[in-house]
Amino acid sequence: MVKLSHRMSEPVTGSVLAVKDLSVILSREGRPSRVLDGISFDMFPGEIIALVGESGSGKTSIGLTLQGLLPREYLPQVAGSIRLAGIELVGAGRRTWQSARRHLVRAISQDPMGALNPTMTIRRQMQESKGGDDRSIGDWLSRTGLPDPERIADALPHRLSAGQRQRVLIAMAMMARPKLLIADEPTTALDVIMQAQILDLLRDLARDQQTAILFVTHDLTVAASLADRVLVLYAGRIVEMGRMQDVARNATHPYSAGLLAARFDLDSDRRRPLPTLPSERTHSINVENACAYATRCPIAQPDCTAIRPPLEPASVHGGAVACLHHEQTAFLATQRADAKPWPAQAIQETAALRLSNIGKTYPTGARSFWGRRQRQPVLRSVNLSIKLGECVALVGASGAGKSTLLRIAAGLVVPEGGTVTRFDKLPPQVVFQDPVASLTPWLTIGEQIGERLRAVSPDSDYGRRRVGEAIKLVGLDPVLMDALPAEMSVGQCQRAVLARAVIVPPRLLLCDEPISAMDVSLAATTLNLLSDLRRRLGMAMLFVTHDLAAARIIADRIAVLKDGELVEIADPDAIIAAPQSSYTRSLVAAMPSLQPGGGR
Amino acid sequence: MLVYLTKSIVGAVVVLLVMSFIVFGLQSIIPADPARAIAGPSAPPEAVEAMREHLGLDDPVLVQYGRFLLRLAHADLGTSVRTRKPVSDDIRQYLPATLELGLASIALGVALAGVMAALQFLIPGSGGIRFAIVGIGSTPIFLAALLLAYFFWFRLDWLPGAGRLAYRDFAGPSGLNVIDGILVGRPEVSLDALLHMTLPALALALPIGVAVGRSLNGALHEVMRQPYIRTARGKGISETKVLLRHGLRNAATAPLSMLRLQIPILFGNLLVVERIFGWPGLGLYTVQALASADLPAVLGVAIVFGMLYILVSTLIEIGQSVADSRINL
Ligand SMILES: Nc1ncnc2c1ncn2[C@@H]1O[C@H](COP(=O)(O)OP(=O)(O)OP(=O)(O)O)[C@@H](O)[C@H]1O
Ligand code: SF4
Ligand SMILES: [Mg+2]
Repeated sequence: MVKLSHRMSEPVTGSVLAVKDLSVILSREGRPSRVLDGISFDMFPGEIIALVGESGSGKTSIGLTLQGLLPREYLPQVAGSIRLAGIELVGAGRRTWQSARRHLVRAISQDPMGALNPTMTIRRQMQESKGGDDRSIGDWLSRTGLPDPERIADALPHRLSAGQRQRVLIAMAMMARPKLLIADEPTTALDVIMQAQILDLLRDLARDQQTAILFVTHDLTVAASLADRVLVLYAGRIVEMGRMQDVARNATHPYSAGLLAARFDLDSDRRRPLPTLPSERTHSINVENACAYATRCPIAQPDCTAIRPPLEPASVHGGAVACLHHEQTAFLATQRADAKPWPAQAIQETAALRLSNIGKTYPTGARSFWGRRQRQPVLRSVNLSIKLGECVALVGASGAGKSTLLRIAAGLVVPEGGTVTRFDKLPPQVVFQDPVASLTPWLTIGEQIGERLRAVSPDSDYGRRRVGEAIKLVGLDPVLMDALPAEMSVGQCQRAVLARAVIVPPRLLLCDEPISAMDVSLAATTLNLLSDLRRRLGMAMLFVTHDLAAARIIADRIAVLKDGELVEIADPDAIIAAPQSSYTRSLVAAMPSLQPGGGR
Repeated sequence: MLVYLTKSIVGAVVVLLVMSFIVFGLQSIIPADPARAIAGPSAPPEAVEAMREHLGLDDPVLVQYGRFLLRLAHADLGTSVRTRKPVSDDIRQYLPATLELGLASIALGVALAGVMAALQFLIPGSGGIRFAIVGIGSTPIFLAALLLAYFFWFRLDWLPGAGRLAYRDFAGPSGLNVIDGILVGRPEVSLDALLHMTLPALALALPIGVAVGRSLNGALHEVMRQPYIRTARGKGISETKVLLRHGLRNAATAPLSMLRLQIPILFGNLLVVERIFGWPGLGLYTVQALASADLPAVLGVAIVFGMLYILVSTLIEIGQSVADSRINL
């Protein structure tokens, strides 16, 4: 311990963090699998490195390994070397790790809801941190831009909004003045305006405190607006690394190039399907002596499954790339023929859904001693109608009342005022944010899709044919008809949910943030699928999202909800080119873009 | 809070009414004649008849019940058939012993649950000890009590296994000997009372400890996987602090509910254990009352236990809302 604090008082010269040949094996149900494979990189004081990769690529595992917090029940086996401020941590004892966590490395996580102890005040949680005296608590809370730090410090977490909680977590981490901050998708749960503020805050902290920040994200656009360097991770290996701007401009690995092509922003072409990565990762081949990307790679050659591509200096930028044929990657972009434009969509004059004067309040806060609760309005006389065949996207900050309005349209929530009129007699179909959670774990996909046929037995020939058609319609592999949800990827689950929704084609489909938890490529795939389905089946759609770019791509009109009021509704490009309300203006301004500096 | 308190008081009254009605109803079914019992087996029939008149046993049942409730409201529980004393006096005499034993068993049970949690989450490889505790705690209470008495009293003679106190004529202000010994400045009395209490309290605490401990471990298992536990560990504080400060309080609701479920079982077990260890409390009193069909006594004890249960479970619910501020009473 003494040795450690002595070392720390020395000024750090050179790298703060040196990771060499780091490999991690985790066991699930007795089966070991290599989650990280030969990871090497350095970090310097004040540097921000983005760690990019799709879901399951091992981003979170790197963060946990660096903190020594891999879950014990997964029997982690860690090999290689992690030197943090000169101290070797692989194989170090519990004491050393504890002291490293106390003084050197901190983390903030994706889920600001869950990351704070719900039964402890913010102040008491901050006091546990190194340097947690009362003055610096107030100090740090206000440095992260929280108004009224004293009130926040004495609050319990559930009284704070998601953005406030994330700031508290940042303050709590930074007050210990760590050398390394690991930020694991810290903005995924936030709307763009809050996201932009948090990114600014992290940038300032890296500069002022000389803290190195490892910023984990699946969103290259966000990475580009923040990071100095980038590591692209695929199946537990680094496939490309380099200066952020170099990689953003000249991605050299086919996977990075695909990720870049799949991202969409306010300038993407919305008249045709979005480019996506070729299929999703399915079962893994034996990758010991092969390129892990070979099953998906559009330029794969026979040798790709015979040799493991080493990480070598890239020819087009100063970084490194692990691809045997990376000089071919540049042709990928030119090869990609533009997809056929969407056919024109017939929008009828009749309304599929008409919401008039909808009002709704929810009780808030604790009961007083007398047992009364206050009610907070969440929707104030909202008027919205969607024509048959039309798609309206509803955007707004978290807490604006988007989901409540969608639930009212679905008949799941009863409004206190106003009327809901639907063209269809059948209840509308709803697609929720988490596709895995909305499937029943013990029923096969075929059974769940067939359930909606009601009168027809899903086991009859006719029933199976209908299910088969629905599965084909959403582009799901028919062999998955007899699979259980646990055996499928998130993307496949999302397709199954959609197949269930459209097997009896509804006149109105309601989607609540269906892409917000997905990585770019999967999100683009889902947007394409929804665009395709609604045109083929002539469905009207209400698409709730906090992502303005997604709204613009999918919708015929965008409605902006702010504090329970509809402030604006118009054609997507009109809204983005000339936002009328001040809120919409700030929403447009906060959109990150690949250009350095971000914003518009 | 106000609503909650009102609710629990109203609930208490309803429970008492229902319970008294059931026990009162028993009187008319059981073929025992209280008038004969009180007048004595050799009393002449006129005397029995006079006693019947005096007790109002010929009135309609509802009138009798109404009268019974009226007396109940004045804390008059009638006269014990066996001891010939007002039941309320008997209860006053025996209650402290049972309270003392009951509270000690609950405290010991909760401590045992804590030990089980500490073993599971702080001491890897302690599965065997936990298994043994669960095994002992799952044996039927009469067997566990007899085994404890046999080994620690009869065979080893480490601890006393009968009665409540060696100082026969000691009587303190509260009736709780451990506390009274300290109050009157005789610590040797307190110590002796504690020693006498150990075996019966242990017998009673084992099933409580196992039930609450398992529920606590189950809840902790969930809680210790939550992201905020990772945040706490990320601050570099010790695992014990993580468990005590962040785990325990968030895991408290389920084991407290389990503790509440254990209270009526504890009352039942008190009858057995007080009988086995000759503990002069309400349990022993009830066993003797049951043996002589002493309905007023049984009824009185049932009402006291009912009130104690409501009191304890209200306290536990308040405890839950203190542990978890999201539970709003
Ligand atoms: N206990 C375990 N046993 C085996 N494999 C595991 C275990 N836990 C996680 N994995 C695997 O490790 C890989 C990396 O997981 P990790 O959570 O680090 O990914 P991630 O990049 O952070 O994904 P996301 O973007 O979804 O957060 C995944 O393939 C995952 O399935
Ligand atoms: S090594 Fe082969 S399979 Fe792997 S990315 Fe390069 S070209 Fe594709
Ligand atoms: Mg992750």
